[in-house]
Amino acid sequence: MRAVDNPTLPRALHPGAWWLWAIGLAVAASRTRNPVLLILLLAVTGFVVSARRSDAPWANSYAAFLRLGLVLIGVRVVLQALLSTRSQGSHVLFILPEVPLPDWASGVKLGGEVTAEAVLTAVYDGLQLATMLCCIGAANALASPRRLLKSLPGALYEVGVACVVALTFAPQLVTDARRIRAARRLRGRTNRGLQALRTTGMPILEGALDRSVELAAAMDSRGYGRTGHVPQLQRRITGALVLLGLFGVALGVYTLLTDAMDPLAAVGALAGGLLVSFAGLLAGHRRVARSRYRPDPWALPEWLVTASGAVAAGLTVIAAYAGVEGLVLPGPLTVPGVPLLPVVAILVGLLPAVAAPPLAPPVQAPRRTEVAVP
Amino acid sequence: MNRLVGVRPRSATAILLASAAGLFAFGWPLLYQTDQAGAAAIGHTSDAPWLFVLLLPLLVAVVLAELSEGGIDAKVIALLGMLAAVGAALRALGPGTAGLEPGFFLLVLAGRAFGAGFGFVLGAVSLLSGAMVSGGVGPWMPFQMFACAWVGCLAGLLPRATGWAETTMLSAYSLVAGIGYGMVMNLWFWPYATFGGALSFVPGDSLEENLHRYFLFFIATSLGWDVPRGILCALMVATLGRPVLAAFRRTARKAAFDTPVGFTEAPRG
Amino acid sequence: MIEFDRVSVTYDGAPGPALREATFTVPEGELALVIGRTGSGKSTLLRAINGLVPHFTGGTLSGRVTVSGRDTREYRPRDLADVVGIVGQDPMAGFVTDTVEDELAYTMESLGIAPDVMRRRVEETLDLLGLADVRDRPLTALSGGQRQRTAIGAALTPHPAVLVLDEPTSALDPGAAEEVLAALQRLVHDLGVTVVMAEHRLERVVQYADRVIEVPGGSGPVQSGEPVRLMATAPVAPPVVQLGRLAGWSPLPLSVRDARRAAGALRTRLDGAVPLRAGMSTGTSTGTSLARCRDLVVRYDRTVALRGVTLEVTAGEVVALMGRNGAGKSTLLNALVGLVTPVSGAVDASGLTPVRTRPKDLVKAVGLVPQEPADLLYAATVRDECAQADADFRVADGTCRALLARLAPGIDDDTHPRDLSEGQRLCLALAVVLCGAPPLLLLDEPTRGLDYGAKQRLVEILRELTAAGHAVLLSTHDVELVAEVATRVVVLADGEVVADGETTAVVAGSPAFAPQVAKILAPLPFLTVGEVAAALGEAS
Repeated sequence: MRAVDNPTLPRALHPGAWWLWAIGLAVAASRTRNPVLLILLLAVTGFVVSARRSDAPWANSYAAFLRLGLVLIGVRVVLQALLSTRSQGSHVLFILPEVPLPDWASGVKLGGEVTAEAVLTAVYDGLQLATMLCCIGAANALASPRRLLKSLPGALYEVGVACVVALTFAPQLVTDARRIRAARRLRGRTNRGLQALRTTGMPILEGALDRSVELAAAMDSRGYGRTGHVPQLQRRITGALVLLGLFGVALGVYTLLTDAMDPLAAVGALAGGLLVSFAGLLAGHRRVARSRYRPDPWALPEWLVTASGAVAAGLTVIAAYAGVEGLVLPGPLTVPGVPLLPVVAILVGLLPAVAAPPLAPPVQAPRRTEVAVP
Repeated sequence: MNRLVGVRPRSATAILLASAAGLFAFGWPLLYQTDQAGAAAIGHTSDAPWLFVLLLPLLVAVVLAELSEGGIDAKVIALLGMLAAVGAALRALGPGTAGLEPGFFLLVLAGRAFGAGFGFVLGAVSLLSGAMVSGGVGPWMPFQMFACAWVGCLAGLLPRATGWAETTMLSAYSLVAGIGYGMVMNLWFWPYATFGGALSFVPGDSLEENLHRYFLFFIATSLGWDVPRGILCALMVATLGRPVLAAFRRTARKAAFDTPVGFTEAPRG
Repeated sequence: MIEFDRVSVTYDGAPGPALREATFTVPEGELALVIGRTGSGKSTLLRAINGLVPHFTGGTLSGRVTVSGRDTREYRPRDLADVVGIVGQDPMAGFVTDTVEDELAYTMESLGIAPDVMRRRVEETLDLLGLADVRDRPLTALSGGQRQRTAIGAALTPHPAVLVLDEPTSALDPGAAEEVLAALQRLVHDLGVTVVMAEHRLERVVQYADRVIEVPGGSGPVQSGEPVRLMATAPVAPPVVQLGRLAGWSPLPLSVRDARRAAGALRTRLDGAVPLRAGMSTGTSTGTSLARCRDLVVRYDRTVALRGVTLEVTAGEVVALMGRNGAGKSTLLNALVGLVTPVSGAVDASGLTPVRTRPKDLVKAVGLVPQEPADLLYAATVRDECAQADADFRVADGTCRALLARLAPGIDDDTHPRDLSEGQRLCLALAVVLCGAPPLLLLDEPTRGLDYGAKQRLVEILRELTAAGHAVLLSTHDVELVAEVATRVVVLADGEVVADGETTAVVAGSPAFAPQVAKILAPLPFLTVGEVAAALGEAS
């Protein structure tokens, strides 16, 4: 067993593994509306995030996604339970004064009865969506965006560089903007609104544009853009693969939706098109002759994390197909059951809390010197 | 104006095909035909958007790879990255409400100044990096990337004009683009808002009827977000359009995008 | 190693050549110093070495540039990346990654070097440049000197034969500049790298140069040769060389140590003479107090930037604030214009409390030119900028333009402010701030990026202002500027005032703040070449 296979060796997990785990859990969440299962899933993601989160600023996004999920549930309740005319059931919670609306808005009602069924259905639907969002939020908080950009295939290298440049310079521009805004006072102005945009935004933009030319000169001098020679035939083949694949995907999506063809053939066209265009994407990598410095390894911990997400998704899907009771509630007012197989599947998702390597101890923070560092 | 990212016929075809697939993915509620009814249909409808969320990133990746197939120069990449950084910084500094996008007007102006291909890639890159900067890469991202990319691309395809005519044209385009962006993005969660027969999505119904319902839904809910966005964008283009375009022209001159490079022999004597 | 054969460069659309008939050779393993005024073509020459001119910038290059046997006609900058490493003035503008280690590896990745070789070289470079303890730190959390060393390391990892540096120490304080120069010395002597650098602050570097390349600008061809020979007649020269020329020492000393050895006779001659500091009024300052701080305490989050600073500035004074980075100099200046709110203590400028006064009233009492003068400017042409300034300060039309014409004559109205040279931009910012005629003028690091000529112009401007009754408070690392123009020096360390007194008293004996002339003529109290010339003139 290599050193990187050891889950106790502190290092950063490959970001792709985190995303695959999160997508697996999101797939599991999409199979059920049982609030018990969904809340269990939320707890699982929250636990893993708190166990393996780093101190970087982007690692706080889980809380933001959680808040977003709560807002979504609230919006759902308002729209569905309070404003909808669809009859929802018989247990009336309370009655609001009704406001009559003209005929063309016949789908909407303001006020009127608020039924328990309506509220609960809205909460369960919203909870499912919120759980899926929180899974994505967990991936955001655990996977470093920069390391993800480093793992892009070679054909997307240029776009990756553009994203890295944006990530590098956005914070600097924010600092510049604060400084320039402060400098406005030095000219006796306190600008607001659109005027402020002109006096603050234009210098930032022009500074950024000038800097981009400097950056381009530096990149050019450091060897950016050294491409190996690619034979014309290979380029044509790659292009043909990509176009064919895209055509297949477009065809497959359209026919799948509109039922114009046999669904199996449509799915086949879709999947086939995906594979072909993916092959075209990967084939383009040979053009760029670059090496990678200390790439993130894909070792045993990555396999374990990915597998836990896949198992969670797979078991839940199988449970849905087998019609296990409790995944879909028969009615909103029934007490939700706790089916065994899905619970086990979700708990498998806890594996990364131990299988993923712990983070390296934080670097000694430097003593803050001059704050307004140029 | 320069055309910084060349769009060859092959890339153009790829963009169109991928966008067609993307449009079907966006507009699946309008197209969805099925002979199933009732609960089973609702069950399927909750799956379809997530399927496309997984599909769309690949489409975006393939299109971007196609556009950068011939190699993108360092100057263009640096400019792309910087403009995306400016957009992200503006978003971080400016009004924080979700509907108002200060970086939008920059996209329209950059697409105009540097060509349709550049606008397309800038739309995708600025959205992706903006999401990464703020730590919020969500399932709506691929849709937003496609929509922003098209906003930038179409800005580059607008007809030639100069002076006030150009500014007016760009302002009008930004208003339309702002509202259109919202209209398209709302398609994503329209099926989730099931309330009432006249506004909600009925799977299997004909295209015209669903379109009609969608329109009502849009007016009822999102007009409050999208119209201010469109108006803000148009205002920003109207007031800042000329200075920003002048700044772009100055940068194009400084970066010497198309300037010829010549070597001569030293004169004798 | 580097050969220039009658090289002339003309940019597209430019009226004349930017570089005219440059012919010289830099042998392997030498440190070549490129000197010349701003705008003379130094940057063009440096960029021609790795092919950025003309492949990146456009234009026409006549003649031939050969580096390590490769002609830049056939080789573009990316093809020369393994042979030439180039480091610009602002390292942050060239960083593409976010940690030190990744930045060091970036060039090697582009060149396709094998991973184990990359790993080894990164470790070696970290040790060579003293960056091992900051290897994981994000680049934004580094000090100026560390950033510059990281940029040099990033250029070094592919083991280039030539390293080209464009003003590497201009933005650094003396300590950080020493570190960078020591690292470069090590490269030249131990590794045999050929280093070509352009620098304005010649006093730090000229002693290390094996060769000097002088770019005269409009007139005359580019000259190259022994430092001693060229510095005898160069138009830009550090104080030690100026003193040597004045005293007629031969061979011309280039370092303080050599000059001290030759200065015995001069010291005897000047013994007992009292230097007259130009622009200083004798006697105690009795002018009005224009700024006062009493026990000022300023905090940023958890760090205390200023701990009880007490200071007073009266009319007619030029007070220099000195101290290392992080001592609180910029914070003090910001407190005087109301950009930071003090936690306790009193600040007032001409009787106004900065934080509580409206900006448009405060600018009539105190004006600040920030570290980055371009922060103040936002118009698209010089004409618009001046018109805006007139409107901002509510003065008569044309005031700002007239001021600018006096400070920096010869600026075209249609130029974009960002296209001006550093000195011109500083003058424009000064003109804007002086529109409101504030009695107190604050300058934050004004001489960054200025050449000797622009610095001299700044000194004259400051002397005119103080003669007219203004007071100037400037924060700077430039000891030569302080020696020329300051009447008083205040040294800050760790947020407290460590020294506050007349320039000669504070600066003369200090190892960190003494100008070259003081070090050469110690223990005599002379600070500038001008004082020595005046004393010699009187004595003869």
